[in-house]
Parts: sequence; C-alpha cells; structure tokens
Amino acid sequence: MAEDLVLDTAIRDWVLIPLSVVMVLIGVLRYFVSKLMHSSQTPDAKIVKEGQVIVRARNLRAGANFIPSKAFRTRKIYFCNEENGLLFVPKGQGQNPQAQMFSDPNMAMDMMKKNLSMIIPQTLTFAWVNFFFSGFVAAKIPFPLTQRFRSMLQNGIDLSTVDVSYVSSRSWYFLNLFGLRGLFSLILGEENAVDDTQRMMQMGGFGFDPSKGLSAEKDNLDITQHDWALLNFEHRAEAVLRKVIS
Amino acid sequence: MVTKTEETQLNRLENQVDNGGGGAWEYLCLVRKLKVRRSEKVLKHGLSILNDPKQRSSLGSDEWTLYEQVAVAAMDCQCLDVAKDCTKVLRKRFPESKRVGRLEAMLLEAKGSWELAEKAYASLLEDSPLDQAIHKRRVAMAKAQGNISVAIDWLNKYLETFMADHDAWRELAEIYVSLQMYKQAAFCYEELILSQPTVPLYHLAYADVLYTLGGLENLQTAKKYYASTIDLTGGKNTRALFGICLCTSAITQLTKGKSKEEKEGSQLQSLAAKVLEKDYKQRAPDKLPQLTTALKSLTLSS
Repeated sequence: MAEDLVLDTAIRDWVLIPLSVVMVLIGVLRYFVSKLMHSSQTPDAKIVKEGQVIVRARNLRAGANFIPSKAFRTRKIYFCNEENGLLFVPKGQGQNPQAQMFSDPNMAMDMMKKNLSMIIPQTLTFAWVNFFFSGFVAAKIPFPLTQRFRSMLQNGIDLSTVDVSYVSSRSWYFLNLFGLRGLFSLILGEENAVDDTQRMMQMGGFGFDPSKGLSAEKDNLDITQHDWALLNFEHRAEAVLRKVIS
Repeated sequence: MVTKTEETQLNRLENQVDNGGGGAWEYLCLVRKLKVRRSEKVLKHGLSILNDPKQRSSLGSDEWTLYEQVAVAAMDCQCLDVAKDCTKVLRKRFPESKRVGRLEAMLLEAKGSWELAEKAYASLLEDSPLDQAIHKRRVAMAKAQGNISVAIDWLNKYLETFMADHDAWRELAEIYVSLQMYKQAAFCYEELILSQPTVPLYHLAYADVLYTLGGLENLQTAKKYYASTIDLTGGKNTRALFGICLCTSAITQLTKGKSKEEKEGSQLQSLAAKVLEKDYKQRAPDKLPQLTTALKSLTLSS
C-alpha cells in the first residue's frame, strides 16, 4: 500500500516557498505596523504601587533569613494584616481591574488593535491559501499518521485511498503559522519574536494580574518561616579568618 | 554597584582618553551606563566631540543623548552657560519633551532659584505623576537647601509608592544616620539587606548602626552582622574586623557577672586581632605598635 507518489517539483517552487515567503513578509509587516500604532500608555498609579509592593514582598520572602526575627515579624504583620495590610485585597475590589480595563477607552482601544492586527492577516492569508492552493497534494509528511488526521490535513483532496502522509497546502500554512518564531527572532531581534501562538495566548489572559498577584504573595508570605541564618555566621567568619591567617 | 571589571575598564578608557588616544565616545557611553559621576571629564571630552561638527554628525541620533549628558555634567561643574546652550539646542529639537523640561528645571536649580525650580517640578509632576526622576530631584533640592526634614518627608512619600527602589532606601538611611535617628536608619538598612543580601556594604552599615544603638541584644546582633561581612568579603574588610573586637569587648563588659559562651566569642576576637595585626604589618607597619596597644586595652577591659 505504500506506493510513493512522486510529486512535481513545480509544487515546491510555486506553492511551498511562496507561501513561506508571504507569511514571513506578513509577520514583518505586522511588526512594523504595531510599532507605528503603539500608543504610550500612562501607567496607573495604583497599578505601579501594587507592582512595587509585590516586589518588596518577594524580597522579604527571599531575604527573610538575613534580618533579625523581630524585624521580620514586624514586616510580616505589616504586609499580611487582615484589615489594613498592604497585601490584603477585599473581595469586592478584586473584580475591578477587569471592569476597569473594559471601560477605560485607551486600554480597550489597545486590546482591539492587538486583536485586529492578528486576526485580519490570519483570515486573509487563510482565505488566499484556500482559494488558490487547494485541490492537490502539496507535500509528504515524513512520519506516518493515523486516519483521524485525514479530515484536517487533506481537506482539498477527495481521494480516500491516498496515504494520510500526503497533505494539502492548508497544513503547510498551519505549519508555518506555528513554526516561524525562530525565523522572526533572527530577523527582528530577540524580543520581537512574538509569533501567532503567543499572541493567541496573550489575547486570552488580561489584567487580573494585580489582585491575583497580591493574594498569591500574601499566601506565600503567610507560610514563610523565619530561620535566622546569621546564627552560624560567627563560625563561618572564624573559618574564613583562620584561612586568612594560615 | 559597579563591578571590579567594569571599574578597571572605566579607568583604562579614562587614561586612554586623557592621554590623547581615541575612544572618547566609548568612555562617555560607559559612564552613562554605569551612572558614575565624573563630571569634569565628561564635560571636557563631551564638549570636544560636540564642538567638532564632523564627529557630531557621525553620532547620528545619539547626539541628543550626548547633549543631555554634557548639560548635566556642566551643571555639576557650575558651567551654567554651557548647560544653557545645550538645553537650548535640545529644546529646539524636541519642543514638547518632558525630558528637556526636566533639564530646564535642573538648570534653574543649579542657578539657585529654588522657588522657580520648585514650580517647574510641580508642573512637570502634574503631567506625569509617576516620573521617578522628578520626585528624586525634588528630594535632592530640599536636601541642598538644607531642609532635611522636608527632604525626609518627600522621600518617605516617594517610598510609599515606589517601595522597591533600593537607591532611595539607601539615601534615606544615610540621611537618618546623619540626623542620628538610628532606629529608623536600622529599618532602612534592613530593607536594603532584604533586597540585596549579598552586598557586604549593607551588612557593615547595619552592624555599625546596631553597635551605635547599644544594648546587649543589639550588640550581639551587630557582632553577627560583622561576622557575616567578614564572610562575604573573605576577611579583607578592616572595619568589620575592628567591629568584631569592639563588639566582643563591649559585650563582655555588659555581661561581667554572667558566664555565657565566652569561649567562642574570644576565639573570634583573637582571630580577628591576629588578622588585623597581619594586615597592618603588611600595609602600615609604622602604625603597628598603636594597634597592638589598642587591642591589648580591649582585651584587658573584657
């Protein structure tokens, strides 16, 4: 059953390579457009303060063993106190960031821009691929697949006897979609290699971060025990000094 | 904190530039990156680059950063006309920039017109209330005018929002020490130790403050922090060694009647004394007899 179909080299020249080139160009274009449309956000004072509080609480957890226990306990109470501790967020306020984010016109505009800049090129490219490059076998995947993938990868090919390893150009499009991140990091520099997959993930998660971060830090800090590391430091200092003398 | 490699690189570049070799631009970039304060050299070499039109055009868009750097250096050296020229050029190029606004307010400050500078900073803060540099400039201005309590107020308010800024904590600690408010200074040093536990400088300063506060518990804690400084610096910090000797003698004075763990304490003290003597023999042999008499008096009184 494993007859090898010989695919025309013209397919490689006129389908695979142009499709990849087009996707790379669209990615580069999107990067420049997003740079142009980037509006500087004035950070909210409350969010900045919360960020800094989180950093300070994290420092407290990390360095807790280096300060005397009385100092640690004072700070722990300051942070975790039920009524007016810094990390305590009453339940009602937790919902606010998201609502605020939707009502604040600047942020809503930014979200919309980010989403649009991703959705439109994807849709257009997908439609273009479907229109021009359907109905023939485009490539052969080097490993065998089960029959379940047939509907996904072979949608233009209406022969049911063709091996599932032979795929249509739509699957090449998806392969490029998820795989061009390495190329973008080479071209655009390390930080700008945001590929479509990452953008899709960014679309999902938004600004719950402040309130969740605070309560997470509070829980962590509540658990932290204080184990003063400096008790043994006198011995260590003796050892160091002995080495210096000898 | 500037690391040792960076420091040697900086000194090497400085020597090279001073003696007529090229590399002025790399030197200025390194100074800017490390944020060291070498205003005279920056002024001299920066001006030489800026006054030469060929070199200036070869900088491209970095020219404006250089203007800003030279303006600040000129203000530090009190060459106010140079600073004014640079600021004017920058203002022409960036008419609506807040960064240039900050430079102009700094120029007013350098001239000594405090109220005008205060007004300028207040208006800049209205536009961007989260600009850290402007807050810090306001504190610096209060300190320069001698209004230390106002400076403390501003700094505390700044730290309420930006509490992860360890430079600000350090400044506050030093101000408190200068005012002899040692408990508050101890709090600030604790913050610093929390954020950067491997910097021996903060351990040493904290130990100093604790020793100055006095009291048996503080002295014992101070001794531990001197020990940690010795550990972090490999025994090379003379001040920590002296601190150990002084702490041990003070503790034994306070606990004269009670016999506590004297064995371990005296080992550390005798070791520290030996290291000190060795150090002095190497570096300042003529002061060695003074050192030995001082150490003997410490151990005698304990």
